[in-house]
Amino acid sequence: MAIALWVAALGIGFLALWRYEATPGARGGPPGQWPATSAIEPLQGVSTLVMFAHPQCVCTRASLAELARLKGRFEGRLAAYVVVLRPRDAGEEWDRSDLWDKAAGIPGVTVRRDVDGLEAERFGVFTSGHTLVYDGRGRLLFSGGLTAARGREGEAKSARQIAALLTTGKAERDVSPVFGCALRHGAAPISTDE
Amino acid sequence: MTSDSAAAATEAIVRRAGERFDANWRNVCAATDRFFAKLMVGQWLFAILIALTFSPYGWEGKVKNVHMHVWIAVLLGAIVASLPIFLARARPGWVGTRHVIAVAMMLFSGLLIHLSGGRIETHFHIFGALGILAFYRDWPVIVTATAVTGVDHLVRGIVWPESVYGILHPEWWRFLEHVFWVLFAAIGLSISCVRSLKEMRTIAERGAEIEALAEGEWRKSSVVERDALGTTA
Repeated sequence: MAIALWVAALGIGFLALWRYEATPGARGGPPGQWPATSAIEPLQGVSTLVMFAHPQCVCTRASLAELARLKGRFEGRLAAYVVVLRPRDAGEEWDRSDLWDKAAGIPGVTVRRDVDGLEAERFGVFTSGHTLVYDGRGRLLFSGGLTAARGREGEAKSARQIAALLTTGKAERDVSPVFGCALRHGAAPISTDE
Repeated sequence: MTSDSAAAATEAIVRRAGERFDANWRNVCAATDRFFAKLMVGQWLFAILIALTFSPYGWEGKVKNVHMHVWIAVLLGAIVASLPIFLARARPGWVGTRHVIAVAMMLFSGLLIHLSGGRIETHFHIFGALGILAFYRDWPVIVTATAVTGVDHLVRGIVWPESVYGILHPEWWRFLEHVFWVLFAAIGLSISCVRSLKEMRTIAERGAEIEALAEGEWRKSSVVERDALGTTA
């Protein structure tokens, strides 16, 4: 009896863990064309990647590791920005976390501060780790996360999709789920069934 | 001594050797159960420490909450540790206790790997756990632990390969590679368990023989003393 109860409780516990790890954040709705109101300048002639990051989100460290791999592979052919959130009333050092340093340490990546999440709003992004890739003419090629699950490094399908888009211009899918903290309060995660 | 009394004496030594072996092994297993009860508490606290170190908070904008991993470490860790601790206290030395502990040790491996963000170094917990489980000197316990980690790798390898191998599309034989190294350790430890039990049996037999010799000597001396007392009286 005790063993049966234990097994049942374990099943529920591990299922809850699995659901949490596999449930992506809010998907958002990025514009098909680079937003004209954005203060970030896309580089003409090459594709531009923009990753939005919450400076305290532990899951986003894995997204940055994936970005470093991707950037290393497409050196010179892909401009990259990491846009780090800082709420207006947060302290001066709030966004200068190890995540900022890690992003700044990736060769060829420019880190920008996003006061009050205005840029995230312009790009229609709600979740830390959300990555957008626009082509040289400002058209959206890819929208989604770079990791296959919450905080997991490793070869995710999205990295291969971006690689395919950058090399051949085509991919199986150009949208991937995003795993990370919400960039604003109330941006609830979506269901895995969606 | 007649052949009947010699056979009876041998039978008594064999029976006594069996009793000595059983009592000794039961003590070994009960002591190991108690050790694992303490280890379970330690692993539970360690899991909480890992969660607090790697992922203390989840964020929604500027609002922070206790990270889900901390709750998972506290609650799921407590569930994993609960039955082994209960059985180690209520039924120390029982064969079922050590198999439940073997399952729990492998589940803790999975939990710690998860909480540390899939660090490959945390996979060493599996090998450490197998080594400590060999304290029981009971090879089926090693088999149970190996089976649990094998099933874990197989199932997660199918439904969520990235969480166990660190990559999304591992080669089809990756499962076999992981299981091979676990089997490598498990087979070595099982051989060690069998040898250890054999040694324990030998020691028990020698102890029973010494006991029988000592008893024989005592009887002889008692007869001599009684005879001496009878003569003087």
